[in-house]
Order: sequence, then C-alpha cells, then structure tokens
Amino acid sequence: MTFQTSLRAALLGLAAMAAAPAAMADQLADVKAAGKIVTATDMHYAPFDMLTNGTYEGMTKDLFDEVSKEIGAEPVYQDIPWTAELPGLEVKKFDIVIAPVTITPERLERYTFTLPIADATVALVKSANSDMKEPKDIAGKTVGVQQGTAQFRALEAFGKELGGVTIKEYGTTDEAYADLATGRLDAVAGSLPNLTYLVKNRPESFAMFEPANFGPPTYFAWVLRKGDDSASFATAINDALLKMTDDGRVKAIQEKWLGAYTELPREVPTN
Amino acid sequence: MFSIPVFLQAFEPLIWAARYTLLISGLGIALGLVIGTLICAARLSPYAALRGFAAVWVSFLRGVPLLVQLLVFYYTLPVIGIDVPAIVAAVVTVGICASAYISEIWRGAIAALPKGQAEAAAAIGMAPHHIWGRVILPQAVTMSLPALINELILLVKASSLVSVVGILEITRASQAQAATTFRPLEVYIAAACIYLAINLCLSALGRYLEHRTAI
Amino acid sequence: MDFGILQQYGPMLLRGFGNTVLCWALGTIFAMALGLLIALVQRYAARWVRWIIQAYIEIIRGTPFLVQLFVLYYGGPLIGLRLDAVPAGLLGLTIYGSPYFAEIFRSGFRAVPVGQIEAARAIGMAELTIVRRILLPLGLVSALPALVNFSIILTKETVILSIITVPELMYQVQRMSTETFRYLEANLVLALFFWALVETISRLGRRLERRITRHLLTERT
Repeated sequence: MTFQTSLRAALLGLAAMAAAPAAMADQLADVKAAGKIVTATDMHYAPFDMLTNGTYEGMTKDLFDEVSKEIGAEPVYQDIPWTAELPGLEVKKFDIVIAPVTITPERLERYTFTLPIADATVALVKSANSDMKEPKDIAGKTVGVQQGTAQFRALEAFGKELGGVTIKEYGTTDEAYADLATGRLDAVAGSLPNLTYLVKNRPESFAMFEPANFGPPTYFAWVLRKGDDSASFATAINDALLKMTDDGRVKAIQEKWLGAYTELPREVPTN
Repeated sequence: MFSIPVFLQAFEPLIWAARYTLLISGLGIALGLVIGTLICAARLSPYAALRGFAAVWVSFLRGVPLLVQLLVFYYTLPVIGIDVPAIVAAVVTVGICASAYISEIWRGAIAALPKGQAEAAAAIGMAPHHIWGRVILPQAVTMSLPALINELILLVKASSLVSVVGILEITRASQAQAATTFRPLEVYIAAACIYLAINLCLSALGRYLEHRTAI
Repeated sequence: MDFGILQQYGPMLLRGFGNTVLCWALGTIFAMALGLLIALVQRYAARWVRWIIQAYIEIIRGTPFLVQLFVLYYGGPLIGLRLDAVPAGLLGLTIYGSPYFAEIFRSGFRAVPVGQIEAARAIGMAELTIVRRILLPLGLVSALPALVNFSIILTKETVILSIITVPELMYQVQRMSTETFRYLEANLVLALFFWALVETISRLGRRLERRITRHLLTERT
C-alpha cells in the first residue's frame, strides 16, 4: 500500500466516524435492529454473576437470558470491573449494566433503574467461632464494608444508632471477607443474598447473625442511561420482568440461586 | 486453611486467561519497542521541536497512570467519535505507555557511553549512520539489557490493568475465581505461579542475550 | 466538570496524596537500599548464596505486586504474621522493589570497565575501597536513569496499597467516584496528582544526573 492510498483510507475512516449517527432516538428500536443487547457486569459477585471455569453463570444471567428472549434480541455478556461500568454506560459502550446495583435516591437522579431483580437489604456476617448473635452486638466492634455502597450508608446509620462502630471500607467485598478470615474484622456488612451464598460456601469459616439483616429494605436492579431514548427500552425490560414474575420464572430462578423466594416490588422504589 | 484442591483447580481457567495476557503484553512490548526507539531518536535529535515533542510524550505517558490512560482511551475518546474495540485500545495503550519507559532506558544507556567513542569514530571518518549502527547502538543495547528485561517483566504484570476495558486476563480471571470460591489466597497464588512461569522465560531470554553480547 | 465536588473532597484527596508520597518515598528508599545490598552480595558471595539470591529475584520480580501484598496482608495472619495496613504496605513495597533495583545496580556495575577494577587491584587497592571508590561511583552514574525510571514506576504501584485499605490517593479517589459518580473528575485528579509527582521526580533525577556526570568529567580532565 502506498502512502497516498493509506492516507486516503485513514481520511475515509475519519469521515465515516464523523458521519456515524450521533444519537439513537430510540434505544429499544436500536437494540431490536441490531438483534443484540450489549451488557456489562462485574463477573465476581456471587451468586449473581460468577465465572466458573471461564463460563459466565449466575442469577443475573438466568434472569437476563429470559428478558432478552422476551425482547427478542441476543444478550452479549461482558465482564467489566465495577468502577468502569457506569462510565462505560454513559458513553454508550453498553446498552445496560446488569450488575445488581442497589437503588438509591442519588443514583436515581443520574440513571434509569429497571424493576428490582433481588432483595439488597443489608445484612451482617461474622466469623464462625464468634460469640456475637444479633446485629446490635456489633456495637464497639470493627466492621468491614464495600466502599461507597448503599450498604455502607446503612451500616453507618446503624452504627450511629448503636453509639459507635468502627467501619473499615474496602474496594470490594472480597477483601473484606478475607480480612474477616484473618480476624482483623469482627463482622462484614453486605447484601443478604451475597452473604447467604458466602456462608453456604464457607460454613467452616463464616456464619450469619440472627436475624441477619437490619435497616430498611433496599433492592438490586439494573441500570440504564437516563433520558427519553432509553424509556421504551426500560419499559420493555420491566414488562418482561413482570411477565416472568407472573408465570413463575422469577421464582424458579431465585430459588435456584438464593434458596428462597422473596416477592419483589412491581414498581421502581423511589427511596 | 489453605486448600490444595482449590489451588490446583484454579489453574485451568487461569491458563486459559493467560492467552490474553500474552497477546496484549507481547504486542504491547513490540509496539513499545518500535515507538520507544523512535521517541529516543527524537529526544537525541538536533531539532528542538522533535526534542520538545519527545520530552512531552515521555513526561505525559510516564506521569499519568496506565489505568487512567486506558480509561481515557476507551471510555472518554468515544465522546469525540474515536471508538475502537477493547483489544485494540488495550494493545495501543500498553504499547505507547511502554514506549515512554523504553525510550528512557535507551537514552540512559546512550548517555552513559563515553563520548570519546563517537568522537573517535567520527575522527576516522565513519558516517553518522555507521557510528550509530556499529558503535553506539550495539553497546547501548547490551548495556541496557537488564533494565530492558526489568521493564518487559513489569509490562507483563501491568497488562492486568486492561481488565478495565473488559478483557479477561490472568489477574481478572483470578479475581473472578476468588469471588466464587471465596478462597482468594489459593487462587492468587496460582495466578502468581503462571505470571512467574511467563516472566522466568523472559528473564532466561535476558540472561541468554546478556551472555551472547557480553563486552 | 463539577469543581464543587473537588472542593468538598479536596482535603481528603490531599491527605490521600500525602500518604501516597510518603509510602512511595519510604518504600523506594528501603527498596533501593535492599536492592543495592543484594547486588553487592551477589557480586561477591559464594556460589550457593548467589543461587538463593537469584531465586529471590526471579520469584519476587516474576509475580504481581497485587498478589504479594494480598498474600502478605491477608495470608500472613495464617502463619502468625499480623501487620497493620501501612507497615504491611511499606514492607510489601520494599520487598517488591528490591529485585528490580538489584538488577539495575547489577547492570550499572556491568558498565564499569573491567580495566579500571583490574588497575585498582594491581596497585593494591583493598576490595572494599574498590567498591567505594570505583564500582559505586561509576556504576551509579550509568544506573541513575534506570533508577529514576523504576522509582517512577513504583509511584504507580502504590495505588495497589488501596486493596489493603491504606488511605492513599487511589483509595480516596475511588471513594469520591463511588459516592458521586464523577468519574471524569476522578480520572483527572489521578492524572494530575501523579503527573505532578512523576514530573518532580524526573526533574530531580535529571538534575542529579547532570550533577554527577559533571563531577566525573572534571575528575577525568
């Protein structure tokens, strides 16, 4: 290839980029036309998103497989670290973030949430040989939690109520669990489904509090961009979720991964 | 306690993920060597504009963390219409980041050569490209080999940052594995073994070249 | 861009940056000292000692800092080694950096012309004096750019300390971005702080470089 032809090719490429349609008016129509839904999730959030021997599986995948079927498009699953998911969504690298994100008022201002896909109420886990029993026993103890999460807020509020809990923040819950195992932490706060799954897998090391949860009920949902173009897409997903709730598919999937069924709100909670 | 079965089971998915580590660090190193050499040449050139450009290049790419470079390349540039596949973004970013470090290694080695050698070569009438090709570069390459191997090994490990654009390489695969088994220690040590295997090859290569080129 | 957020998080970010600089400076000094020691021992010690050192270099250099730090901090207590986050971070940086520095020093020593050392031996200079008067000064000159280069690389490795909850810059930036979703500002903060640190280090390095080469030049003439 001569320099001139390669220069021409480069210029054509640039022109094509500039000419590409800037914004899709309707995301649902766009997704249907493409025949695929590009998703992002953090595939280390058991039991929702897991990579088992290189294969993606978990409760989110089962749910979203069914939702995609209802919409009539193929899901494309991508493993994106949590810190890059929302920025990537904003620049349209993905159509939807299917990592379970706790619905909070601040997040509702910036993003569109789908209907809840699971209970995210904050709960506590302790070391298996700990003599603490109820959540209020954490008064005066050191508790780990993931940085910047809704569970962190709930723990902070609960700590104040109890008159003092030392909170240690971690980048991911995995490090908090590891520090609970070393004994540096007395307990770890997280969402109920995650902690239940942890204890089921490592009963020799970890145990739940009785009762495990505290604080107001919160929910996990999926996240879309804010704005008119995503409205129809959000409605389509919500309709699919409601249909799946009514015909028992949601119940079956929840029981498969969480061991129990929790009825979820039929509207997006706003607080 | 440490679970041997979990440790052993971790290897298969991690070795599978090592393909991406090898691909990205391999191509990134190749790109980094080419660009790094050019930047070093620019840095030593008689033209002030070229020197200035090279100095800014090195300062910026060494100064800004690779993670941020990746995020900008992949997640910010689409705003102005530059949208590339994840794997291209990863290789290009790793390559240009490496070029800054590699050009500094070349520069350091060239600067450490006694000036008299180039002067002597010029005095006996050698052409400039011969002075570089036969006197300066061979010695500079030999001298900087250990530093270069150091840098290449660092690159293999730094390639773990590309997981942020959705590429499942060794570190990311081990984090995923750790999160499903809740046994991070076992899985991370398995990941360390794979990195070690790759890097031992690099450092053996370095030793071999060092022996062959010893002055 | 929202600079109100930077105002709100500014003090926290500055403290984080302070911790980053502190961890980097101490970690680099310790790692460099250990690296120099390793390079010297490797030059003079018996063969089996060299083998052990070589194994140490290959293992530490060949594995990621993330894994080393994780094993040290979360695995250490299994064998009774219980460190707080900051001491564990500094120990981790020291261990992690030492083989790289050792290799850089070794490479610098290689660049010292053998003739100079042979000449010194011939006039009956003690081996320790040779190290002090010839090997170190000459070796350091050629190793300096690589030393600066690797010190700069180490600045970036400090972000990994966030996984063991050292409240350095990355830890604080993550906190800001997860609380406010201001990712662009977060990246900007990371880029600016690190660029400032790296630019300062490389300027100091260049100054030092000019200074010690000038000294050598005057000595030669």
